[in-house]
Amino acid sequence: MGFRFLRQKSTWVVAGLIITIALFSRCGTDASAGVPDTVDFNYHVKPILVQKCYLCHGPDESSRKANLRLDTYEGATALLKNGGRAIDPGHAANSMVVERIFHKDPDQVMPTPESNLKLTQQEMAILEKWIDQGAAYDPHWAFIQPDSSLLEKKYDENAVDYFIQKELEERGIKPAPRASAESLLRRVSYLLTGLPPTEKEQQLFLSATNEDAYVKMVDYYLQSPRFGERWARHWMDIARYAETRGHEFDYPIQEVWRYRDYLIRAFNADIPFDQLVREQLAGDLLPKPRLGSGNENESILGTAFLTMAEGTHSPVDVRKDEADRIDNMIDVTGKAFLGLTISCARCHDHKFDPISAKDYYSFYGVMEGTRFSPQPVNQASKQQSLENLKGIQEQVKLWAHQQLLESGTTNVLQQTNNQPATMPADSGYQVLGNFTGKELDGWKSDGHAFGKTTTLGDPVFNDQFQLIGIREGMASSRKTALGIYGALRSPDFTISTNFVGVEAAGRESVIRIVIDNFQLIRWPIYGNIEQRVNDTKWKQYVFDVAQWKGHKAYIELMPGVYENHVFVQRPDSYVDARYAITYNNKWVEPANKQPAVTALNRQFKKRKVEPAIQALLEQESQLRLALRDSLRFFYGVTDGFGRNSPVFVRGNHQELSADKVPRTFLTALGTRSNNLDVPGSGRLQLAEALLEQNNPLTTRVFVNRIWHHLFGRGIVETVDNFGLQGKLPSHPALLDYLSLSFKQHNYSVKQLIRTIVLSETFQRSTLPVAGSKEKDPANIYLSYFPLRRLEAEAIRDAMLAVSGRLDTAMYGEPVPQHITSFMNGRGKPSESGPLDGAGRRTIYLEVRRNFLDPILTSFDRPIPFTSFGKREVTNVPAQSLILMNDPFVMQEAARLAARLDKMGLRNNEEKIQWLYRTCLGRSATKEEILEANALLANLTQKNSRTVWKDFVHTIFNLKEFIYLN
Amino acid sequence: MNQFQRPLSRREMLGICKCGFGSLAMLSMFGSLLPSCSGVEAGKNQLLNQLGAGPIPPGFVPRAKNIIFLYMDGGISQVDSFDPKPRLAKENGEDPAKKFKMDATQFGDVGKILKSPWEFNRYGESGMEISELFPHIGSCADELALVRSMVSNFPEHTNANYFLHTGSGLQGRPSMGAWVNYGLGSENSNLPGYVVLDGGLIPPGGLDNFKNGFLPAAYQASLLRAGAEPLANIKPLDSIAGIQEEKLAFLKKRDQHLLNSMDGNDAIEAAISNYELAYKMQASIPELTEFKEESEATKKLYGLDSPDPNTRNYGAQCLLARRLVERGVRFIELTCPDIGGNADRWDQHSNLKSGHERNAHAVDQPIAGLLKDLKLRGLLDETLVVFSGEFGRTPFAQGTDGRDHNPSAFSMWMAGAGIKGGTIYGTTDDYGYRVVDKPVTIHDLHATMLHLLGIDHKQLTFRFGGRDFRLTDVHGNIVKDILA
Repeated sequence: MGFRFLRQKSTWVVAGLIITIALFSRCGTDASAGVPDTVDFNYHVKPILVQKCYLCHGPDESSRKANLRLDTYEGATALLKNGGRAIDPGHAANSMVVERIFHKDPDQVMPTPESNLKLTQQEMAILEKWIDQGAAYDPHWAFIQPDSSLLEKKYDENAVDYFIQKELEERGIKPAPRASAESLLRRVSYLLTGLPPTEKEQQLFLSATNEDAYVKMVDYYLQSPRFGERWARHWMDIARYAETRGHEFDYPIQEVWRYRDYLIRAFNADIPFDQLVREQLAGDLLPKPRLGSGNENESILGTAFLTMAEGTHSPVDVRKDEADRIDNMIDVTGKAFLGLTISCARCHDHKFDPISAKDYYSFYGVMEGTRFSPQPVNQASKQQSLENLKGIQEQVKLWAHQQLLESGTTNVLQQTNNQPATMPADSGYQVLGNFTGKELDGWKSDGHAFGKTTTLGDPVFNDQFQLIGIREGMASSRKTALGIYGALRSPDFTISTNFVGVEAAGRESVIRIVIDNFQLIRWPIYGNIEQRVNDTKWKQYVFDVAQWKGHKAYIELMPGVYENHVFVQRPDSYVDARYAITYNNKWVEPANKQPAVTALNRQFKKRKVEPAIQALLEQESQLRLALRDSLRFFYGVTDGFGRNSPVFVRGNHQELSADKVPRTFLTALGTRSNNLDVPGSGRLQLAEALLEQNNPLTTRVFVNRIWHHLFGRGIVETVDNFGLQGKLPSHPALLDYLSLSFKQHNYSVKQLIRTIVLSETFQRSTLPVAGSKEKDPANIYLSYFPLRRLEAEAIRDAMLAVSGRLDTAMYGEPVPQHITSFMNGRGKPSESGPLDGAGRRTIYLEVRRNFLDPILTSFDRPIPFTSFGKREVTNVPAQSLILMNDPFVMQEAARLAARLDKMGLRNNEEKIQWLYRTCLGRSATKEEILEANALLANLTQKNSRTVWKDFVHTIFNLKEFIYLN
Repeated sequence: MNQFQRPLSRREMLGICKCGFGSLAMLSMFGSLLPSCSGVEAGKNQLLNQLGAGPIPPGFVPRAKNIIFLYMDGGISQVDSFDPKPRLAKENGEDPAKKFKMDATQFGDVGKILKSPWEFNRYGESGMEISELFPHIGSCADELALVRSMVSNFPEHTNANYFLHTGSGLQGRPSMGAWVNYGLGSENSNLPGYVVLDGGLIPPGGLDNFKNGFLPAAYQASLLRAGAEPLANIKPLDSIAGIQEEKLAFLKKRDQHLLNSMDGNDAIEAAISNYELAYKMQASIPELTEFKEESEATKKLYGLDSPDPNTRNYGAQCLLARRLVERGVRFIELTCPDIGGNADRWDQHSNLKSGHERNAHAVDQPIAGLLKDLKLRGLLDETLVVFSGEFGRTPFAQGTDGRDHNPSAFSMWMAGAGIKGGTIYGTTDDYGYRVVDKPVTIHDLHATMLHLLGIDHKQLTFRFGGRDFRLTDVHGNIVKDILA
């Protein structure tokens, strides 16, 4: 990479100029007019190069023309064949670039006419001046470390205001005055909690006159449980949150709503953002997971972030399906935490950003080494019993082995696994796992059910508390007890034979051959790679895998079954296994140790246990009983075995590079601990690299998201793209200040929001003062608060809130989607959910990929397929039709009218005033009352029985109801 | 047709007023360029670049104004419809594995080579061979450009549906109808530019087949259906006529007041006019779906008098499609009727004979009626009609009497604007299993459709997540041989 990503302090002297220039550029005024005195590479030159030159002269080698690259200093200044240089620093007149961009000959001019790209006069002038000034190539602004002295400086006022004011003053733009108290209350209430201020809140805060009234109000909403419900949803847009898999039959993603609850709790409890990064990428791997109020593992719930991709029903090309699924994981991870479009490098080096295909396949290796797995959510309460049980079992075992020693040999316990005495002629024959010895033979035991070893040597007692021998060796999910979660998974292997065989016994359990990490196993194609174990006698389970030769696979044993892709473990489910093999023709058992154990047991004279041991055994059986229970699961991840991936040439999964890419974090970011090539997936290392001090992106991207949600536009407008194709920051120093301060305050999201919301900038009126619109038509410099439409959720929740129907119950299973007569197709739920979502906040409504809510979708809730840090705000007739005619809106209008009726208000004016306060957070003006009365009179003439319902419905349709000022 | 006689399209409008977008906002609410939406803002600039700089070759006159896409959900069998294969009859019942190399199929239950239960007849001056399943469509043979060499990338319904509709096998990309409207805009300010007529079956993959993806929501399809409520929320729920007008009058006053107090605001202004349009639609949409002024002869032509309820259903959709074309709707897709029983879509994994027969009976007469009616009214010259499934079916049986999915070969046809009728393009092998000559990909199909609308598929791009996306991704060649 030609970029020199040195740590260096950035300077923002010229930062603001770009906007001014942009204003002039389109209309083609005099060229020199918009050219700054000092040309900055990032802010003036690079946008031109990226948009107009990089397609043929950028980082991607495959599309490079004339072997010339203009994205690096070295490339641009190299000696050309004709002896000249594209760029001769300090000498525009000697630079070929200048010659060619000003060329009159269509065969010579750059960009070429066929490209449809054209430089403006002004752009040409900027390039010329930049070369004359030395053609400095600074690193991309987003990759430069923020200047830490920004934190050391003392700010007289709120630092946000300092930076905003500075830019306004430079441009001579006057800020708008402070908004009214009503407007501020409504603004803070909606933006912090997603709900309109209640009557009580209005009384509480609108009457307060003390100086810190605003601060108190802000703190009140920051502490509200509704806060998490709003901010969790913002993050869910990024996590492409959905509760079903979409595709043909819209299968469920098991209990993924627990991730939604996890986010709500996290935002409410102000869990530091760095912790959330770790948990969402590697919550299953943390040495010390964060525990919830009931001691349950909170951290692991974060990993659902990785599992919410769409899922294909019976893909014929399962390798490609895996590649697509992993691509989605990379895409979302890259956008969410880095604001980079890493997945652009799937087929070739990124055309604009310094992200190579190797970088992409580094990430690929990390995701490929990650296995999807149901994870238990209600085992925490049993943790102590489990630990006690294990302790007792150890003591008993120790005692029993002492007895064995005294009675003769114990070397049977030390035996290791081995091949059959005579290897079969079958060329493909291989023992994939032999559990008749002591070890689990390199298989991964997830959870507690299978323990760390086989059952070999576990003591056996009869019901008179006599030790009668030891157990044979096997992998057993009931080794410790029934009713606890566990999975036993083999290392990855490549299928090269016709059959895989597992000798197993059990009850309501499953053995699966997981091919290319494909999980939605079912008929027609995949039916034969999953078998239920429901026979307590040993049986040979044969899997015909002939059609999957050459594919990567692992074997998975779990004490439970998949029912329509939902994992169910009943209290008595268990699975035992002796060994697993792969073969072509004939099943041959590997040599096993059972005869030795049988012989030992035959010789062994039973002995009565000591009273102390008997007490332990009695305790043990009680604990076992207590542990036996049904489990609940959500769909999470667990670590597989570390894998490095080859590069897929041009993104083709059938054309692989010879060398594998050692997993490394994005090389361009200059982080110090880059190595992800560890025995496991490397996810934890990835999380740490994201959070490393030297990585300036993660915090910048996050604080910008918060700013975006508060002002409706980010300091960097392209919130999910901080790469070269993204927009430049409007206030770079402010972004850096917030980013540094965020870290300094231990990644506290609430603190960050508080700082911004307490600024004067945030409290400004939406009404611009005269002249400011002319100077800053897009309000980039925030001289007034940007008016905006409320989000889909806020609109729906507001109707429920004012109608009195809102049920503020938190958490839990989603309310089923309401199915209208327009919603059809495969996977349609058999029953519709309630029209009003049982009065619950929108965040608790089900998100079914193939049956997305039409109201919410019309009001721009994104389609959950990738990260949407920024929602569209569209204006389509469906929105008007919903507000005019949808039964939900009508129903809530009727409810509010009924509520109004019970208020005991004396006359129309009081009623109108009450409705205005309830729905719009302010009193009605005289004029409004006059017009409202006129409307009421007209409505009464038409139908006196529905007057107030019709009036309320009209209020719901006011623009003011769905806009925030 | 002289292109200056019709109202200005947005494309032309853009060409004229390169600096003023304000007026455009009012031009059309559907798929129009609205202020206040920065995503659209980006699209606007892109459009300006493209349309100003010229994706339309100088002097090129678009052949098609509208597209009617007849989607044959489930995968119609090519060897039983448009691609006769006598060899199947000769080798009926033999083991296909001994004849040719076979790919994995979705259901795996591979049976013997299965001959078509139907005869093929020659139709029209071109002598095009079409199965007896489609006598009515056969009578229009000289209008059709038949492509027998279609290939898809996916053998599963959902991926293949997304691929056919969006040019990508993954969920979440914009549908072709959305792209067309993004590129050209609607010519009717009272109707959406992209309409899906819901015949009863939503294809696997759901409504995402018709969505806007990352394009602004304004470009998504509106789902229309026959019956009392053709469009969601189109029927006022107010108890008595006139109440809605009272409400709207009040709203207009108060919202205007808000607008004035804001010293003007594009978003609010656009939202206000949006209401006016929505109000008008309440009348215009039901009017559209009632066929009051259609003659008995016309209705008969479409099979509305058929004893088969499925023919009547599909006939109504076809007639509605013509009415939408007349009103300038750019892109209309028809989904299949729900035939019920074991004939779910064209997806006959078993009972090929009865399933294909019932499906064919539902669509044959209405489609022929549509082609004839369009022609009669002079609309066929400017309307492109496309008939296609998402893939084909295997020439060998699944079980004994069904056929499995086959993405390696299938047939589709186009008729109307810019199409050379009576053409046959591409060839499959003797079994109709694989394409052996002139393969046409879904990207090629899209490129050709866009070409006929006057759009260079390589120039129609939208910047999303740092990349310029196209309907045709990085692929697509125009199938010139079928163009007039």
